This record gives sequence, structure tokens and C-alpha cells, in this order.
Amino acid sequence: MRRWDVISGVAWRTLKNAILNPQIFLPTLMFPLFFFTAFAGGLSQLREIPGFDFPPGYTAFQFVFVLLQSAAFSGVFTGFGVARDFEGGFGKRLLLAAPHRSGIVLGYALAALLRWLVVAAVLTVVAVVAGMQVGGGAVDLVGLFVLAMLVNFCGFFWSGGLALRFRTIQAAPLMQMPVFLVLFFAPVYVPLELLEGWIESVASLNPLTYILETGRGFLAGDPPHALAAFGLAIGMGIAFWTWAFLGLRKAEAAGA
Amino acid sequence: MEERANGIEVHGLVREYKKGPRAVDGIDITVAPGEIYGFLGPNGAGKSTTVHVLTTLLPPTAGTARVGGYDVVKEGPKVRSMIGVALQEAALDPLLTGRDHLRLQATLQGVRKHRRKVQADELLIRVGLADAADRKVSGYSGGMKRRLDLALALVHMPRILFLDEPTTGLDPQSRTALWEEVARLRREEGVTVFLTTQYLEEADVLADRVGIIDQGKIVAEGTPAELKAEIGRPSVHAIPRDEQDREKIAAFLAPFGERLDTTRDVAVRLRDGLGLTDIVRAVDANGVDIADLELRAPSLDDVFLAKTGRTLEGAAEETEAR
Repeated sequence: MRRWDVISGVAWRTLKNAILNPQIFLPTLMFPLFFFTAFAGGLSQLREIPGFDFPPGYTAFQFVFVLLQSAAFSGVFTGFGVARDFEGGFGKRLLLAAPHRSGIVLGYALAALLRWLVVAAVLTVVAVVAGMQVGGGAVDLVGLFVLAMLVNFCGFFWSGGLALRFRTIQAAPLMQMPVFLVLFFAPVYVPLELLEGWIESVASLNPLTYILETGRGFLAGDPPHALAAFGLAIGMGIAFWTWAFLGLRKAEAAGA
Repeated sequence: MEERANGIEVHGLVREYKKGPRAVDGIDITVAPGEIYGFLGPNGAGKSTTVHVLTTLLPPTAGTARVGGYDVVKEGPKVRSMIGVALQEAALDPLLTGRDHLRLQATLQGVRKHRRKVQADELLIRVGLADAADRKVSGYSGGMKRRLDLALALVHMPRILFLDEPTTGLDPQSRTALWEEVARLRREEGVTVFLTTQYLEEADVLADRVGIIDQGKIVAEGTPAELKAEIGRPSVHAIPRDEQDREKIAAFLAPFGERLDTTRDVAVRLRDGLGLTDIVRAVDANGVDIADLELRAPSLDDVFLAKTGRTLEGAAEETEAR
């Protein structure tokens, strides 16, 4: 019960800050909407390329990417908040007040998830209004959102782990850049089969490719490698969870 | 929770920073339940590092420390449940209101849901922030932030309170109010208070016992009265009206005791059995015009001077220069 108190307290405070301060929350919401509008609208003719086979259409194709991107970046932006808190000394207050300190990390993670759920809801409404076709059933959609949720956890635990090690917002590029690269070295605009050259090789090795293709498959009603995608997402989640908690130990050893 | 005595026991505590000095160098402290312990020393002496270790914020390099009967290394969560802490820098979230802070702190500390609001309202009144409770902390003055910090430290009714230089930067009125609150907590609720300060007056007024720390080591410990009694004798300070009389005054004061190293006046520590009357007679007999003549009882600064060879103020300047 005490751990849940810490989790709920940290999550409540992080969300309240985000809701009451548009400069914190708006980037999380605006970036995905901007990308969705730009990609699904401006690049929609890519669906005419020979070999582009995605029955629900290009809007749905891009929706999945932007959904996963928003999940990852909601996590990363919450990591920025962790860095700011520890840089400004508020992290010290949390470490002193929380009997169970693991609850601090989990509280931020819960805030990252709830923050993303708001973005995901807005994004989904915008996509449906924009005419997105959905081929999959309810179970497929749950699969898609659970997969995105795991990406959200990975994004947060990665950036939170860095934030707890560096304890300064100057580490923000380090938190953001690898996630950005992983996202854009996946088959963003066309399916993997249509990529060529070095980008095809990189995309084939990129774990996000399998998660993205499975997510698109859920929306189409035919996920290609669901087990591998969930295995990868859970595996990365466990690795980044460990990374974040080791970061907490570092912060504790340094007295935050 | 199991009822434990709310004392503090520290043995051979050491804290070394990587590539840095030994901030705390083998100190022993015992604070009895319900006692106010003043931890006095200049900036950089090791006061805050000691507090950070005792509040589980920093692990010690060596030695042991038990707070409320719990080991600070092995039983950190139990220690944190028992203590309230107001650190030197009141780390507050500028975007939250005072009430938000209290709500958050109460939640983190596991205060029961139905008690949180009541507790917050009571504390806001007690620290004089009821009117500002719903304003963002970014608009608070330094004194208001300090008072909120104290309220946050008290929200779960801790048995042991750590206050790290709580009155630094406060105006005299706020300082007195905080002293009264600390004294009340000890008197009415039996709270043990570990108070660091660089203000002699604060330690003198509030503390039952004082530990003086310098360069990581405790150089003196006891009640303020005991420590002053160690120095024993009062001193006489004479300010000449004419600067040229300084040496003349020093010469006729010399038989009254050992000369003290002061810049503003001429001072001697009186030998036993001598008093101000003897000095006044000597001044009169020597026909020197004195602007001011003062008899001073020993202060904690005198204790610090006697133990370290420096005044507290001088020690602080040395630390800053290092």
C-alpha cells in the first residue's frame, strides 16, 4: 500500500504539472499530430507505388507509426521531467519522502502512460475523422494499443534511466536522439519489402520494425509476427526497466 | 508501526566524496529522545553531509548510524517513515501550490486519505500560509518557502525532525516564529530535533545540547552552559575614543588577564576574581577616554575560538577561500 501511495503521488504531481502547463504537455500532443497530418496527408500518394499492399489505406499505415512514435516520446518527455526534478532538487525531496523509492520511478512511468493515453485518444479521434479504415477486430485493436503501451514503457525507462544517471536536463539530447533514430530507421513511409539499400538492411535489424509491422498488421486484421513483436517489446521493457532502476541506485548513491 | 525510542546514535561516521575531502571524519553523536541537538559549525564543516547521511540521502563511507532505532543503511524505508526533513535549500516545485505540495507530501508519506486534507489545513494555519495556500509556490517569498518546507516536514507527524539551517535568509520575525514552533514541537509532542546552524544565537536559544563541528570532526559537545563554562571567564572589551590610546589601554589592561585578538576593540579575558569595577577604576586612574566598555559573558563563538583557534566567521571565510 505504501508503494502505491508513492506511485500515485508522483504520477498525480507529474500529470498535474503537465495539464496545468501547456508548454510541458503540448509538445507531446502536437508532434504526433503534426507528423500524422504531414505523413498521412502529404505522402498519401505513396500508396500507389507498385507492391504497396496495405488494405486499410495510407492513413491507417501512418497512424500506427505515429501512435508508436507518440508512445515512445511521451515516455521520453516524462524522462525530461525526471531530469528537471533531480537537477532542481525536487528529486531529493522525493527520495527523502518516499519510504519505497522504487515507487518514484514507477510513479513517473504511470504518468508517462496516462499522458500518452490522452495523446493516443486525440490521435485516434483525428485519424477516424480523417477517414482511417480499420480492418482488425476488437482483439486486434487491444493488441495494437498494448504493443504501443510497451513502447511507451521502453521510452520512459530508457530516458528515465539516463535522467537518473545524469540528473540534468542537458542530457535531453541523449535521451531523445537514439529513440528518434530507432523510430526513423524503421519502415516509416513504405513497407519493409519496398525499402532498398542500406536503409533496408538497417530496418531489417531494427527491433522496432517488427513491432511496427505487427502494429500495422493488427490494424489490418492480420498481424504478421505478433509473438516476436511482443517478445521484443517485453524483452526491451525488462532491459530498460533494469536500466532505470540501476539509475535510481546511482542517484541514491550520489545523494541525488 | 512498532514503537521505538526516537533518538539518534552515530558511531565513527565517515563520509568521503570521490576525489574530494573527507566531509565527515569519524564523528560520534548521541541524541536523546525529545532532545533538541544543535549542530554548529561554519559553512563546509560537514553539517549538511551529516544530515544527508542521517536522513538516508547519502550512504556513509564508514561507521554506523541509527535513527529512531533503525539503521540508516539497512533500514532506510523505516527511517524515512519516522523522520521529517527540511533541507537547507527548500526544493519546491514552482508550478505547484502550497496545498498541492502538502497533498503530495502526505501521499508520499502514506498519510491516510481522510487525514490528508485536515492535516494540510492545520499545518497551513500553523505556519501562517493559509491565505497563500492556493497560490503557486513560484510567487512565494523566501520566508514563505521556508515555512512551507517546515510544514512539509511535519505532515506525517514525524517523531524525529531534521532541520538543516532552517533560518538562513529569514527575517528576524520569521526566525523567532520558527524557533517558537520548534520549541513547541519538542515541548508538546516530544519530537527529537536535529538542528544544524551557523548562528550561535540559534543554537544558544534552542538547543539542549550543542555539537560543534569543524573540518569534519566534532571539536566540542555539551549543553551551551557547559561549553561556555569550559571557557569560564568573561572578557572585557574597551573601545578607545582616540585610536592613539589603543596601546595605552592594552598596557593597563594587561594585568587583568590575557589579551584577546580583536580588531575593533581592546579586549582581555579576565582572570578569576576580577570584575568590571576593577577595570573602571583602572580606566579612571589612567585618565584614558573610553568610548565604550563592555563585559561579555563567554559565547559559543568563544568556545569555537578556544577549540579551533578561529572564530566561526573566520572559519567560514577560510572554507570559502579553499
